[in-house]
Amino acid sequence: MAATSPESSLSSFSTTAYTPSTTAYTPSTTTQAISSSGFNFPTYTSFPPFYTLQPNLTTRTHQLELWSTLISSYCAYYRIFRLSLSSLPTDLFSNANIHRSLKPGDVRTVLDHMSKPENGPRIDWIPSTTRNEQSSSCYVYWKTPGEWADALHGWVDETGQKGTVLTVYELREGDAVRSKEWRDMDEGMLRKVLNVLVKRGKAQIFGQEENAGVKFF
Amino acid sequence: MSSTRRGVGLNAFSNAAISSEQYARHGQQLRSNHAEALANQLSVFQAALHNFSLTHAKDIRSNPNFRAEFARMCNAIGVDPLAGSNVKDIRGAGGGAGGVWAKMLGSSVNDFYFELAVRVVEVCRETRGENGGMIAVSDVQKRVAKGRSGLVGGGMDATEDDLLRAIESLQPLGGMFKVQVLGGCKFIRSVPKELNPDQAKVLEVIQILGHVTVSMLQANLDWERARAITVIDDLVADSLVWIDSQAEEPEFWSPGSMHEGG
Repeated sequence: MAATSPESSLSSFSTTAYTPSTTAYTPSTTTQAISSSGFNFPTYTSFPPFYTLQPNLTTRTHQLELWSTLISSYCAYYRIFRLSLSSLPTDLFSNANIHRSLKPGDVRTVLDHMSKPENGPRIDWIPSTTRNEQSSSCYVYWKTPGEWADALHGWVDETGQKGTVLTVYELREGDAVRSKEWRDMDEGMLRKVLNVLVKRGKAQIFGQEENAGVKFF
Repeated sequence: MSSTRRGVGLNAFSNAAISSEQYARHGQQLRSNHAEALANQLSVFQAALHNFSLTHAKDIRSNPNFRAEFARMCNAIGVDPLAGSNVKDIRGAGGGAGGVWAKMLGSSVNDFYFELAVRVVEVCRETRGENGGMIAVSDVQKRVAKGRSGLVGGGMDATEDDLLRAIESLQPLGGMFKVQVLGGCKFIRSVPKELNPDQAKVLEVIQILGHVTVSMLQANLDWERARAITVIDDLVADSLVWIDSQAEEPEFWSPGSMHEGG
């Protein structure tokens, strides 16, 4: 098996080439962007018009759907719970190989699309702390708060922890949740998830901020 | 049982009536004898055909070569393997045999093409937002082979021939699905609006080059700028092309290559 050096060009990629190291398997399609962390970018991310907001509304609707799917899968892969417009992952919104990137205004358009209830919502804008200022960050729901609530409660149930009080810290970063998908979830998002459980009558929150504790039923 | 009514001049009438009744009965006898013989022959034939299609149903479904041969055979003996009633020159075997014949043959062959046609319609509908209703047959073939998204299995292994046959069978739907050749490539058009010659020309060029700019159209087709812009505007309006505005000059791309290589 030929080992390809990082400097080899895309054109020299064969269908059997991959870098046999700790870095990811690079897909065999010749037009794929190489990502050192291994997310499998779909072929349409190498299609230049993908980075131009299409004027035709029918085409645009489809384009927004493709972006939504891409963003959701990317964030799920890297377990990104929150996107901030001032520091977006570059390989998500641009393709260096074809020198194309989605304009910041268009990124917002995509996220707005994802924030609509009829489209999920797959993201949730976080209100800006400054009055009259637009949101500049959002939670990403590659799983919905409802789905997270199910997962969290399911884990509490399986581990026989119903009735005990767990701290928010433990739920986010404790040893017991090290292998769980919600570990290191953005705290604001975790609270939303817990509120879903509270509404369902499956949990109760005591105390404030860092000292908050949660009891599950 | 004839009822004998007595009335004026009825005697003559009733005689004639009796003999025409006798003739009628005799004729009916003949017909039913023939019909019975025919029915017997037919049922033997039907059984043989049914067995054939059962034995080879799997082959018909899974083997494109066998399927093509089978379809060729059917056409040679004047039977459309797909249609229920569309039979040529088979009157000699008895009027109603055509529909029955196709029905016997039909179960697996019919099912395959019917299912394929359904899949083609689905694929065209799913991709319309992306390609404005023009999709390469090879593209459809790939998508059909992949199966419905989210469902395991169910991909259909169809040849281009199969696809064209399936599309043919959609004609009764009012000609919504037509095959058009652009740049040597076969496309399925699933929208009613036809391309005018200029639009077809540009799509052909895009098919070959991957994308065009207004300048390229001017230079290669010797068109005036206004003409080129008009056509491009039309194609954009019909969602047939995508725009890339981050190049030196706006480029217009066919969506066909968006998912290639995946």
